[in-house]
Amino acid sequence: MKAFNLGKKSIFLATIAFSSFTLLGSIGLTQNSAFAQTKKEVSKPVTVTYWYWLDDPSQNTTQELINKFNATHPGVHVVGRLIPSSNFQQTLINAAASGSLPDTSRFHDWWVGQFATNKLLAPLDSYRQHWAFNKDIAQRYWNTGKTGTNSPIYMIPNEYITFYLYYNKAMFSQAHLTPPKTFQQFQTDAIKLTNPAKHRYGFAMRGGSGGQDQWFAFMLAGGAEMVNNQGNVVINSTKAVSINQWYINLFEKYKVAPPSAVTDSYAQLLADFENGTVAMFAHHIGSYSLLKQALGNKLGVIPLPQSNPKHPATLGSMNGNVIFNSSTNKAADWTWISWLSSPAAINILDRSVNAQLPVLTSVAKEPYFQNQLAWKIAIDEESYATDWPPLPGVGAVSGHVWQQSMDQALLGQVSSKQMVDTIATALQQSN
Amino acid sequence: MSLPNLSYLKNQTRKNKFGPIWYIIPSTIVVAGVIGYPVIHAVILSFYNYNPLSSSLTFVGIANYVNIFGDSVFHQAILHSVIWTLGVVFFQLIFGLIGAVILNQSFKGRSVVRGLVLIPWATPSVLAALIWMWILDDNYGVLNHLLTQVGLSSLAQAWFSQSVTALPSLMLIDLWQGIPFFAVMLLAAMQSISGDLVEAAKLDGANAFRTFWSIKFPIILPTVLITTMLRIIWTASYADLILIVTQGGPGYASLTIPADAYFTAYSDLNYGGATAMAVVQAVVLFIVVIWYLRLISKQGILEQ
Amino acid sequence: MTKLVGRILTWVLIVGWLSFALGPYVWMFLTSVKPKSEIYSLPFHYFPKHWTFASYHALFTSTPFIQYVFHSLIVAAFTALCTLLLAIPAGFSFSRHRFRGKGIALAMLISSQFFPSILLILGIFPLMKEFGLINHLTGLIVIYTAFVTPFTIWLIKGFFDGIPREIDEAAMIDGCNQFQVIRHVLLPLLSSGIVAASAYIVIFSWNEFLFALTFASNSNVMTIPVGLDNFIGNFNINWGILTAGGVVSAIPILIFFLVVQRRLISGLTTGAVKS
Repeated sequence: MKAFNLGKKSIFLATIAFSSFTLLGSIGLTQNSAFAQTKKEVSKPVTVTYWYWLDDPSQNTTQELINKFNATHPGVHVVGRLIPSSNFQQTLINAAASGSLPDTSRFHDWWVGQFATNKLLAPLDSYRQHWAFNKDIAQRYWNTGKTGTNSPIYMIPNEYITFYLYYNKAMFSQAHLTPPKTFQQFQTDAIKLTNPAKHRYGFAMRGGSGGQDQWFAFMLAGGAEMVNNQGNVVINSTKAVSINQWYINLFEKYKVAPPSAVTDSYAQLLADFENGTVAMFAHHIGSYSLLKQALGNKLGVIPLPQSNPKHPATLGSMNGNVIFNSSTNKAADWTWISWLSSPAAINILDRSVNAQLPVLTSVAKEPYFQNQLAWKIAIDEESYATDWPPLPGVGAVSGHVWQQSMDQALLGQVSSKQMVDTIATALQQSN
Repeated sequence: MSLPNLSYLKNQTRKNKFGPIWYIIPSTIVVAGVIGYPVIHAVILSFYNYNPLSSSLTFVGIANYVNIFGDSVFHQAILHSVIWTLGVVFFQLIFGLIGAVILNQSFKGRSVVRGLVLIPWATPSVLAALIWMWILDDNYGVLNHLLTQVGLSSLAQAWFSQSVTALPSLMLIDLWQGIPFFAVMLLAAMQSISGDLVEAAKLDGANAFRTFWSIKFPIILPTVLITTMLRIIWTASYADLILIVTQGGPGYASLTIPADAYFTAYSDLNYGGATAMAVVQAVVLFIVVIWYLRLISKQGILEQ
Repeated sequence: MTKLVGRILTWVLIVGWLSFALGPYVWMFLTSVKPKSEIYSLPFHYFPKHWTFASYHALFTSTPFIQYVFHSLIVAAFTALCTLLLAIPAGFSFSRHRFRGKGIALAMLISSQFFPSILLILGIFPLMKEFGLINHLTGLIVIYTAFVTPFTIWLIKGFFDGIPREIDEAAMIDGCNQFQVIRHVLLPLLSSGIVAASAYIVIFSWNEFLFALTFASNSNVMTIPVGLDNFIGNFNINWGILTAGGVVSAIPILIFFLVVQRRLISGLTTGAVKS
C-alpha cells in the first residue's frame, strides 16, 4: 500500500513537472513571437497572408519564393500557410463561411466559378492594366480567370498544364509497336500491350479521385464539348455519349486497364507506370521530373492521341493566384501575386520539382523549355487546349459527382448516357 | 447491517449542500460551451437553404429532410452506415474481449506486448489509410502477394475497387484501429475483479471458461455495454478512412451518412442538406442511447 | 496437460495478434528505409535491397517534424489533465448520486458526439475567433477537452459502477467526507480505469486531424497529423518521409503506454481494498 502510494505520488509530481515545463515552454514561445511582432512593427510593412498547396512536397518551392520576395520587398511582408492539397477547397470554404479568408491564395481555375459567383474574389483588371508583364501572358490564359465573356478577371495565371501521353518506350519496342496518334491506334496498342497473367496493362486509367481531368482530356480529344459556343451544357450530347462509351469500353470490354482502375488514383497510376505495369499514362508536365527520375530513357512523351488528328483537342488547366474581396490591402496583395507571375519567380518555380508550364510567353521560349521534348510537346499543345468551363457546378462534378458516376459506369451499373446525364445535371446547378 | 447504513445516510444529508450539481456543472459548461452551440447551429441550418460561400440563408422548413429521404443515394448511405457501424463494432468487441482476456493472463513480456498491441489505435487516420491502401493494393499489396504464394491466387483481387469488397476492406482497417480500444477498456475493467472471487470459483472446480463467463463477465458487463455504445456513436460519425481511401466508391458502394454529408456540404455546397443528414443520424443514435439507458436501468446495471 | 495447451493457445493468439497489429508498422518501417526506387517495385520484395536512413535524416533536418511532435505532446498532456479534472467528479456523481434527470443529462452529454465533426466546424469558428484561439495550442486543448469529456465521463462512470458501494459507505462510516472518499479510497481503486481513460484522451488528441487543420495549421502550432498530411502533395507523395514520420510519431505513444501500463496491472487488488 505504501509503495503503491509513493508510486502514485511520483507520477503525480512528474505530471505536474511536465505540465509546468510545457506551459512555461509555450509561454516562452508566445513571448518570443510577441517580441518578433513588435520588432516588425517598427518598419511597418504591410502583412499579406497567402495560402498554398504543394504539388511535390519534397521541396517547398513556394516558401523559397516567399523568402525571396520578403527579402526584396521591404514594404510588404508575406506570411504563407501550407495546406494539404486534398483539404484545400474545404479549408477555403470553411474560412469563407467564417469570414477568415486570407488576403491571397493559390487557386485552381475550376474554383473561380464557385467563388466569383459568390462575390468572394476581387477583380484584377485595373491592376493588370499597369502591370509590366500584362502582354507577356496570352489573353486566353487571362480568360481562365473569368466567369464568362464579359466578366472581370479574377485570377492571375501562374502555371498551366496540358494533358499529353507518357509511354514506356521499352514496353513499346518489345511489342514492336509505335506510339499511337489516333484513338484507334491507341486502343489497338493498348490491347496488344495487355497481358493480365503477367500484370501488364496498356493504359493507366484513373477511375478514382482526381480522374475527371484525364477523362475530360480524352472526351475533348474525342471531339466532345462540355459547353458549346452558346454556353449550354452539351456533355450529354450523342457524340459525347459515344466517346464516353469508347472510354468505358477500354476498361469494361477490352480490359486494357488494371482491375483496380475503378478506384485507382494518382499514387497507384504512378506506381503502375514507374514499374512497367502499365505502358501508357495520360498526365501532364507536373509529373515529368518524377517520372524522368524513375524511368530515365524509357520515358516517352507524345501528344494526346486524337479521334480526329486534323482537329486536335486536349485539356488544359490553370493554377493561378487570387485576391479575396475581404482583404484590406489589395495593392500590397497585387504586388505579391503579380511578382509570383513575373519572370523572376516563374523561372524559379518552373525549373523546380513543382514545375508546370510557364505562362509567360518570353519564358516559355527559353531554351530550357524548348529543348526538352516533354516541355515542347506540352507547350505546343497549349494552342488547342480547352479548360474546364467556369460554371459553379464544376465544383460538385470534380468533388464527387464525376467519380461516383464514372465508377458506376465502369462497373456496368449505369450506361454511358446515364453517366453524362448525371454530370450535365450537376453542371447546371447554380450553387 | 442496518445501523451503519443509517449513519451513512445521515452523512449524506450533511454533505448535501455540496450536491451532485457541483460535480457536474464544470464539465457541462465546457462541453455545452464548446460543442453545444455548433450542434444547435447545425440543427438550425438543416431547416435552411445555406450555401457556405454566399452568406444568404433561406428558410425552407423541412424541405431538406424531404429531399434527402427522397434521394436513393441517401438510402444507400443509411444502409452502408448500419453495416459499417454494427459490423465494425461487433468484431472490435469480440476481438477486444479476447484480447483483454489474453492481456490479463500472466506471461513473459506481458508489459511489452500490452504496449505494442495498442499502437494501431494511436495511428493517425491518414497514415492508417495509406498503409492499408498499399497492403491491399491489387498489384503491389502484401495481402495479394501472400495469397498468391500460398496458392490462393484466385482470391487475390482489387479489394477497394469492387462494390462487394470495398466496404468490408474499409471495415478491416477500422477493425485494426479499433480493437485496442476495447482491449484496453475491458482489461481495465477486468483489473478490478477481486482475485478472491476467481480463486473461490476455481476451488469449486469451475474451468477457465466457466470462471470467465459466470464470474468475470458480469462484473465487466457495465464496461462492455458502455464502451460498445460509445464506440457505436464514434464509428457512426467516423468517415476519415472512407474519404481518404475510396471517397465512398466505387460508385456509392462505401458511402456512409457522414461521407454523403461531407460531399453534400463541401462539393455541392448544400450545407442545409448535409446537416439534415447529420440530424437524421443523430436522432437514430439518440434513440439507441435512450433505449440502451432504459435497458441497463431495468437490469439494474446502472443503479447497483 | 490442459495447462500446457492453454499456454500454447495463448501464445498462438499473442503472436497472431501482434502480427496483425504490427504488420502494417513493419511494412511502414521497411518502406521508410527503402530507397525511393524500391518503394513500389515488382517483383515484390519485403526487405530493402539497399537500406537507407536518408528519409529519417531528411525528416529531422529539413522539416520541423520534431516541433510537431512537441506540439502534439503539449496538446495531449494538457487535454488529458483538463479532461480528467472535469470528468472524474462528474463520473463519480453520475455513478453515486441519485438525482432527477440523471439519465437525460447523461444522454444529452453524449449527444454532443452524434454529429460528424466536419459539420461542427462552422459552428466552432466564431468561438475560436472571439477568444483569439486560432493558431494557438490552447484552442486545440479547449476543443479536444470538450470533445473527449463526454466519453470520458461515461467511461469513468462505468468504472465507478464497477466498484462496490460498500467500499465508500465503509469509508464514510470511518468519518471520511466525500472528497476524502474519492481521493483516498476510490481513486486508487480506479487507477486502471483512469489510465484507460487517459489512453483514450491522449490518443484522440494525438490523431485528431480536422480541427488541427482548421484551427492550428501554422507551423508554429502544427501537430503531427497535419504535418504528415503535408508530405502528401498533389502530384507526389513523399513516401519515405511520410513513413519515417509515421514510425517516429508512434514512439512517444509506445513509451507512454509502456510507462502507464503498470497502472493497468496494479489497479485493484484485494489486499489494497482490505487495508
